[in-house]
Amino acid sequence: MGSPRTVRALARGAAALAVTAGALTATAAPASAAPQPIGTCTTSAGVVLAVDFSHWGGPVYRSCGTTPTTGFELLNQGGWRTTGTGHDGPAFICRIGYSGHQGGRQYPTSADEDCVLTPPATAYWSYWHADPGENRWEYSRLGAMAYRPKPGSVDLWIFGGTDIEGTEGRPSVTPDQLRARNTRPTGGSQPRPPAPRPADGGGQDQAARPPATRTPAATPPKKPEKPKQPEKTPAPTATPSASPSASASPSPSASVATAPKKTPTDGAKVVDAAPAAEAAHDPGSVWPVVATAALVLVLGGGAGYAARRRRRTE
Amino acid sequence: MSRTTPATPSTTAAPDARGRRLPRQLHPVAWWIWALALATAVSRTNNPLLLFLVLAVLGFVVTARRTEAPWARGFRYYLWLALAVVAVRVVFRAVFATGTTPTDHFLFALPRIPTPDWYAGIRLGGPVSLEALLSAATDGLRLACMLCCIGAANTLANPKRALRVLPGALYELGVAVTVSLSVAPQLVQSVQRVHRARRLRAGRSKGLRALRGIVVPVLEDALERSLRLAAAMDSRGYGRAGTVTARSRRVTGVLMLSGMCGLCAGAYGLLDATAPAPLGFPALGAGALLCVAGLRLGGRRVTRTSYRPDPWRAAEWAVAGCGVVSAVVLFAGTGFDAADLNPSIYPLGWPALPPVPAAAILLAGAAGLAAPPPRAHRPAPVPDHHRTTRDRG
Repeated sequence: MGSPRTVRALARGAAALAVTAGALTATAAPASAAPQPIGTCTTSAGVVLAVDFSHWGGPVYRSCGTTPTTGFELLNQGGWRTTGTGHDGPAFICRIGYSGHQGGRQYPTSADEDCVLTPPATAYWSYWHADPGENRWEYSRLGAMAYRPKPGSVDLWIFGGTDIEGTEGRPSVTPDQLRARNTRPTGGSQPRPPAPRPADGGGQDQAARPPATRTPAATPPKKPEKPKQPEKTPAPTATPSASPSASASPSPSASVATAPKKTPTDGAKVVDAAPAAEAAHDPGSVWPVVATAALVLVLGGGAGYAARRRRRTE
Repeated sequence: MSRTTPATPSTTAAPDARGRRLPRQLHPVAWWIWALALATAVSRTNNPLLLFLVLAVLGFVVTARRTEAPWARGFRYYLWLALAVVAVRVVFRAVFATGTTPTDHFLFALPRIPTPDWYAGIRLGGPVSLEALLSAATDGLRLACMLCCIGAANTLANPKRALRVLPGALYELGVAVTVSLSVAPQLVQSVQRVHRARRLRAGRSKGLRALRGIVVPVLEDALERSLRLAAAMDSRGYGRAGTVTARSRRVTGVLMLSGMCGLCAGAYGLLDATAPAPLGFPALGAGALLCVAGLRLGGRRVTRTSYRPDPWRAAEWAVAGCGVVSAVVLFAGTGFDAADLNPSIYPLGWPALPPVPAAAILLAGAAGLAAPPPRAHRPAPVPDHHRTTRDRG
């Protein structure tokens, strides 16, 4: 009943879908939250990202990114690049590389970890946060794609093992060693206006929004110029009021409220990592695929020949 | 109509006058070793090129060396199952979004189902990227390949003859499994026979009445057959306890149970990295020893000779060796870059075809040539004995 109408409605729906898809694919490319020189991060703006390569004899790299962002995007900009696992997708951070360190080589290397299944709890990248003004690490309860760092906070990735009690595998550096101490941007370079998109590591937010509003120039930059509380002392002494989360955190970090007992100097040295270009990626050649296709064809031909001969002898 | 017992195995594997090898059935254990080794090799890699190569090798060997027995026609069902595995994997990856990276190739967006904050770990719907689907597909393809390996073993090896190599202690279990394995093919044969008889008698009724006309004779047939089988087993002394004492039976039970416990603990110790070291290989070894002792002791109860045992000749060595070599090559990881076995999809690039593993997989395919040709379903028609083609159907 009314099948022509149904067909027409379906066709209209399909057309609308196609247009939407086209628009989505057209607007799917734009930039994410932007990487910044380290001087741009202040006590109340930007997020400091720190990655500890000391497991492989490298330094602790420190770089800066704008908010809003996700932990994942922060770790995939300005020359940083991660690899997920085959089992869990890109959301599970299995390897981290920085194009300014060993030519962008990602650690752990494929010789140590094949990143097919979820790595064991004895050797993986653990994710730690320190909120603004707080001098203790908190083990992240969210994945990198779900966590949105606060402005002025520090994100740290360290490699190693952890246990459920939270007594093992804590960071050897303190948040105060890593966080920005300046209240206003330093270092000369003009901070770029952040991308207006509330980044979510994906495109679903773009889907909800008409493409016209997405031109970055149309939206005013939200935050980087003025630190909101200039009278506040720079972070090193954690203000008690600023750490309500320390009281009732069920995460493993709750047991250790003080800074690690190690002296700050016995950790790896901290190096500022400037936003860098992407490490070159070689897309590989198509010839292996062609060779495999040829081999498969040969084998298929052999199978066909065997089947024909069998049919003849029967 | 395949007979349940294969005809006389050829007494020699020497080529006949025209230089062709005489057809015979390969030892079923050789096929199982080959297939399991290939599945082990597959478990090592995520490279779609190698996986497709494995599928092609399986297809070639199965087509070239399968028999016409009822269980040898099932490979296509394993292929369908494999396809279903890949499809399920891809759909789940799309629905339970694992997130996209900024450099992904965006394909489409599913409607996103909001989840509360305390449920933030799981996301439903959202953008789907080409990379996510490809990685799900290769992941599924690996499982699909392993399934097909097992399917190939089931297709190529005669399950009844495979059960004959069971240790004596498991003899009764083996007989039960053999009987249950042959139920489905026998039912099919029975249905076909009844159906043909009805057609010969011009039985034209359709629907429910036809069904009754088929089901009742088939059930009757099955009942009669099982009674005959029971009589045959009884007359051959099935279930006879022999000269075994109650004490030895108890010792056997204790040995087997503790052996199994040892095997479980050993597997746990090997798989869990935090388990204490003595729980790994030592427990596994002790468990295996206890099990072997239990089986040997239990096997004394059954004295049994086998009628025309399957020979293990050069062809069996070759087939099993081909499979084992491929597994060893992929696990040893020498001569190629281990990263090529698991090419990363993020960022997207063409996978490489590492030559050594590819050669190892092709070597596994050589089993299709090393194995002797299967015995033809029927003897080739001789000039003085004409059959109608219809009869051969």
